[in-house]
Amino acid sequence: MITIPYLTAVSTYFSYGLLFAFGQLRDYSRRIFDWWSTNNLHGYAPICLAHEDFYIRRLYHRIQDCFGRPISSAPDAWVDVVERFSNDNNKTLKRTTKSTRCLNLGSYNYLGFGSYDEYCTPLVIESLKKFSPSTCSSRVDAGTTSVHAELEECVAKYVGKPAAIVTGMGYATNSAIIPVLIGKGGLIISDSLNHTSIVNGARGSGATIRVFQHNTPAHLERVLKEQIAEGQPRTHRPWKKIIVVVEGIYSMEGEICQLPEIVSICKKYKAYVYLDEAHSIGAIGKTGRGVCELLGVDTADVDIMMGTFTKSFGSCGGYIAGSKDLIQYLKYHCPAHLYATSISTPSAQQIISAIKVILGEDGSNRGAQKLARIRENSNFFRAELQKMGFEVLGDNDSPVMPIMLYNPAKIPAFSRECLRENVAVVVVGFPATPLLLARARICISASHSREDLLKALQVISKAGDLTGIKYFPAAPKKQEEEKDTIKLD
Amino acid sequence: MMYVRALPTTDVNRNTEWFTYPGVWTTYILILFFSWLLVLSIFNCSPGMAWTIVHLAHFSVTYHLFHWKKGTPFGDDQGIYNRLTWWEQIDNGKQLTRNRKFLTLVPVVLYLIASHTTDYQNPMLFLNTLAVFIMVVAKFPHMHKVRIFGINADQ
Repeated sequence: MITIPYLTAVSTYFSYGLLFAFGQLRDYSRRIFDWWSTNNLHGYAPICLAHEDFYIRRLYHRIQDCFGRPISSAPDAWVDVVERFSNDNNKTLKRTTKSTRCLNLGSYNYLGFGSYDEYCTPLVIESLKKFSPSTCSSRVDAGTTSVHAELEECVAKYVGKPAAIVTGMGYATNSAIIPVLIGKGGLIISDSLNHTSIVNGARGSGATIRVFQHNTPAHLERVLKEQIAEGQPRTHRPWKKIIVVVEGIYSMEGEICQLPEIVSICKKYKAYVYLDEAHSIGAIGKTGRGVCELLGVDTADVDIMMGTFTKSFGSCGGYIAGSKDLIQYLKYHCPAHLYATSISTPSAQQIISAIKVILGEDGSNRGAQKLARIRENSNFFRAELQKMGFEVLGDNDSPVMPIMLYNPAKIPAFSRECLRENVAVVVVGFPATPLLLARARICISASHSREDLLKALQVISKAGDLTGIKYFPAAPKKQEEEKDTIKLD
Repeated sequence: MMYVRALPTTDVNRNTEWFTYPGVWTTYILILFFSWLLVLSIFNCSPGMAWTIVHLAHFSVTYHLFHWKKGTPFGDDQGIYNRLTWWEQIDNGKQLTRNRKFLTLVPVVLYLIASHTTDYQNPMLFLNTLAVFIMVVAKFPHMHKVRIFGINADQ
């Protein structure tokens, strides 16, 4: 639930209206100029419709320097951000050879595996020398090595399901597997804030798609009841299959899914549950097993568990875990398995080693330390930001915390001010978020030390004062000094 | 400081879901009021003339944006709304919702204010009536996806 001051909402609409009006004026004047200039493409159809990339040309390009910043080191707690400059008002950006060392608050490096790790990296380099960077083949031809087989077993055991299948790209896992699971005559009910990969997979499957209000099990039940009663569109025959798609942690809100209620509703109406744990696997739960462990849901109740290795494991690729029959079916039918190149072998080794570290099977307790540290770091950071008066979304224990900005002018202001103080944050605006709700998304990592977090808090507080995003009153400072002096006595 | 709660909507069309959040109606009315003040200060005319100018400018801008331009300003929805105008896209195509009723009411109220403040005199009355007639007919539920004489239809 997001609470906006009313004046901010009105001024945000007005700012977007102004930006839109100026964009349209510029488009009209460009059309007049181009009508006068000669054009040797007479007779060719335009590559894209003029209004289709209006948003990119007139709004996104103006603040392009805040997005897509190249980095020149591993995405650890501190990262080298390459400096760029522009000679034509941000229409094109040129890289320089200089880079600044910035505190990294944007990488999904939840457990700190994003850079050199004393257990994982030597094993990965060994595997790189033995197996070479690419398998140069799809899984069914010559792309399955012993490492791939070990990885699938390891993932299935870690997640708590009988079997798993691994693909080389996280986005492609969703968009290639959903069309295999359901087709025309089926119904997909997805949360309104699901990721684009799920939306693409659902649209590509040909099934009917219905959306339920974000994280609201009551609305899901209403939608399910209505749809089951109505049946397929036009023929009103019963649906062939119903799949409900939810995510573990929603990456733009930092909210954790209300899984127990959703699973009980799906059991009641006999629908399948598809859980996308891209951000929650390895980051929450006592042993890092994700949202099922955190909320106490039996993994046998969730029919299809999907996740990616890019966030907590420092690698690439995605997996689907389910019953043995499901995985066997996917191995015969999924195009990501039959035709796409298999995941690169050193990356697979990185995942296996990372899982071993998390479970403590490498002989140390670094995994448990990392999990405890990320939980501590997230809760500390969130509590401090809320005390300063920022509007921070997300549940406790979630390492993703969006700070609300709202006004479009504050998006580049906050981002550039933080970069000036050597803190790299990710800002997100329309259309990745709703129009009103632009935000700066902070991702906390287990490799951030307490000093890093304090520096980040100081810089964010200064940037927040300058841009005016402390929408809530700051918590009054308690009389901690008096308590301390009493304790010293 | 007055706060409002923003519940996430179920509208997946990024072009129209911004209209479901709180504060839009107030912003719309405030823009109309401030443009009236702007017109008064630029043209130095009578208040009635200023309301007529605001009404006709509102007619041309909203007709172009709501009933003429089709599709969405971004490419990621793969063109599924390319044949629908903004008016046909809002609220997922459902008719007679609160937003649609509000948007139908605004030109009518503007018409009443404009004709009252010009004392129903003739050149302004004719233009105002024509504008409001076109605006209201374009918003009827029966006109959903209708293209009269093929105007603004696709190839």
